[in-house]
Amino acid sequence: MLDLLGSLIVLIGSFFLFSAGLGVLRMPDSYNRIQTGTKASTLGAILVLVGLAVLHPAWTWKLLMLIFFVLLTNPVSSHALARAAHSIHVGEAASTVIDRLEESEARDLSQEQK
Amino acid sequence: MIKRLIVLLTLVLLAVVFSDLLLNYIESPVLSPLGSYYAANGPAELGAANLVTSVIVTYRGLDTLGEVTVLFISAAGVGLLLGRREAATDVAEPRKPASEIVQSAAQLLMPLVFLFGVYVFINGHLTPGGGFQGGAIIASGILLLLLAQPSASISRRLIGITESLSGFSYVVVGVLGVILAGGFLDNRIMALGEFGSLFSAGAIPIIYILIGLKVGAELGSVLDRFRSAGTGDQ
Repeated sequence: MLDLLGSLIVLIGSFFLFSAGLGVLRMPDSYNRIQTGTKASTLGAILVLVGLAVLHPAWTWKLLMLIFFVLLTNPVSSHALARAAHSIHVGEAASTVIDRLEESEARDLSQEQK
Repeated sequence: MIKRLIVLLTLVLLAVVFSDLLLNYIESPVLSPLGSYYAANGPAELGAANLVTSVIVTYRGLDTLGEVTVLFISAAGVGLLLGRREAATDVAEPRKPASEIVQSAAQLLMPLVFLFGVYVFINGHLTPGGGFQGGAIIASGILLLLLAQPSASISRRLIGITESLSGFSYVVVGVLGVILAGGFLDNRIMALGEFGSLFSAGAIPIIYILIGLKVGAELGSVLDRFRSAGTGDQ
């Protein structure tokens, strides 16, 4: 029973990892790709690790540490990537409506000039 | 068009050359005499739970010393090439600071990354991993520092001293093997200890700690060189 539950969680996790890969292929611009790549792969990796913890209870602490590490590194690295892409003016998809970072940088600049 | 054709032709040629290798490859069911010797006698002779480590550090220790030397030469080459450029263009434009998120995360992560690197090379004789891997992890911690604080100053003198001292001690341990045990880089200059425990496998943990420090320092200095060259270039 526990085996089945663990395998099921791993399976759901791998579905999210798959959709992350699909998103990277299908999304229109870098920012969207980073976004899907991060969100879905973070959840997918966490689910796979949780499933492994159910399958092998002895590994739980190590797996929890891995989850902590994934939670800490994945969002931060994609944030840094997206910011770096923005700062060298990597183009965005035509359907993009709002660019808050551009706006806030413009605001900072105009405040400096005053 | 012509370019594509050439690329295609090259691919086909490569496929023809390597297909023979792929189709006629038969995995040998038995270990070679040397491999079976290592597998049969390695654990008892050298006391390392990770057989790969005992081959890398002791049986083929001289090759590993060569690898460390190759890495040292490439780090020195990078220093030579980029150091000259940096001297030529000294006017550096101030960099855009990293975002607050990256800076706080780096503060939290850096100690963990260093700790993990040290863990990997200290446990090299017990678990997969070792000096090179641990050193690379430590260098990734240095890269994180450089990403979070692009203007951080890294003491080149400290890196140089760490690197030279660990390299020198590595050779000293090797020579001690000639004097006290069976040959150059023999790990049995110290007691083998209990098989599978942290303090076991003679000098292997010591050698891996030295390799880890050396590799970390070398890769770290390469990253630092690229950073300085980048600012000089702007």
